[in-house]
Amino acid sequence: MNLIRLILLSLFIFTQAQADTIYNLIKIPNLEVYEINTSNKLRYVYAKQPFTIGVDNNINCFNSEKNFLDKKYKIIKKNLDRYDQKFLRKINLKYIVLCEDLSISKIKTAGIPDNVMKTLILDLKFNESYFERVIHHEVFHIINDSYKELFDEKIWSNFNVENFKYAECSTCTNKIGLDTYKKTDGFFTEYSRSTASEDMAEVFSHLMIDSDLSNIDPILNKKIQFIKNNLLKIDKDFIL
Amino acid sequence: MIEKVKASRSEIVILIFVITLAIFSLGSFLLIKDKCLFVKDYDPNKIKFDNPANIAILNVPCGNVIIQLYPEISPNGVKRFITLVKSRAYDDVAFHRVIKDTLVQAGDLEFGKRENIDYGKIGTGKSGLGTINSEVDTPFDFDKGTVALARTQKYNTEDSQFFIVLRDEPLYETEYTPIGKVIYGLKALEKIKYLDKSQYVLRPDFINSIRMLIN
Repeated sequence: MNLIRLILLSLFIFTQAQADTIYNLIKIPNLEVYEINTSNKLRYVYAKQPFTIGVDNNINCFNSEKNFLDKKYKIIKKNLDRYDQKFLRKINLKYIVLCEDLSISKIKTAGIPDNVMKTLILDLKFNESYFERVIHHEVFHIINDSYKELFDEKIWSNFNVENFKYAECSTCTNKIGLDTYKKTDGFFTEYSRSTASEDMAEVFSHLMIDSDLSNIDPILNKKIQFIKNNLLKIDKDFIL
Repeated sequence: MIEKVKASRSEIVILIFVITLAIFSLGSFLLIKDKCLFVKDYDPNKIKFDNPANIAILNVPCGNVIIQLYPEISPNGVKRFITLVKSRAYDDVAFHRVIKDTLVQAGDLEFGKRENIDYGKIGTGKSGLGTINSEVDTPFDFDKGTVALARTQKYNTEDSQFFIVLRDEPLYETEYTPIGKVIYGLKALEKIKYLDKSQYVLRPDFINSIRMLIN
């Protein structure tokens, strides 16, 4: 019995020490390494216990069951493997935090990008139907935050019809539908209509998951070209 | 006439016990007091090195720590380190950040000097030589004994501060610029003063000196 206690105690001590290193690097507590030996040098870490971060502790996320974590990790890795190390370095993304029921100020969210800390927190439970697309959507926010000057929202907004106006923020609107329109009119999804940066992220994510672009309207075509051109400015070898 | 009283057997046993206890107490006191007692002090002149030009000797309270530098991995980082070593800038500089069995950090030339240590600012000081770019692209195993340049949260802010890891830290690869590895004397670093509740050390241990083996 004492031996079991000793083993459990030593495991606890070991995990705490590891977590400290991660905390020192990205300032998120209660994390452990899931996988760090990846071809593009992304480091996958997961919530061992729930964590709370942010201004006024307004960001919360919870730990997952091992089987669920393993299943989702495979999907996430497959998608993020499409970005090579050079590109990830340029956009400042290195740590992927895996957890579930992610919320910011009690509003559920798919991901929280932080290009300063080189971190993307992903909610493993977010929208099963569009999970893979959402991964790329969140990656775009990292790209956008790292290259604000390239993804000029004024230029972008001018692609839209004259009387169209985005909402003040992505959570200030009811336009949250993620279904891809069968017939587009400048937007891929209802959520695209929320803000310029969400619109860009939706365009990028649709390009990354090889959506059918055969019946795209002229406005959306301009938006696609804008995204593609700017990605090539970041990395001339970037392949969509 | 005084009659000579012979000590009984039990009195002799008690006397021996008291003497033994006193010897153990004194011995333990001396052992505990001298933290360097079981630390081997390496003499670099008695060791044969493959590339002596890249050997630096860090002298700390418990003896010598022998570091092999890797200019082929981080040319600018190693160049900066050697520049500061040759100007003796690191002498009497504090190990201001120490995490038990994890890492020791030193090299704040502005606020970490023994004669004018500033506990309010230590860890933020500069060398006056400016910052250098991070060199993190070459694959490198951040195992126990790795010496690397410290930086702020941003890349390309390396200056004079460096740290040495006391355990394997694979997550540090591509985060920090590695400049070398301790090849002898890591035990001396494990004895550097630390605090249980804070990474920053009040009344810290100091670097006695750092010298290149070949000047």
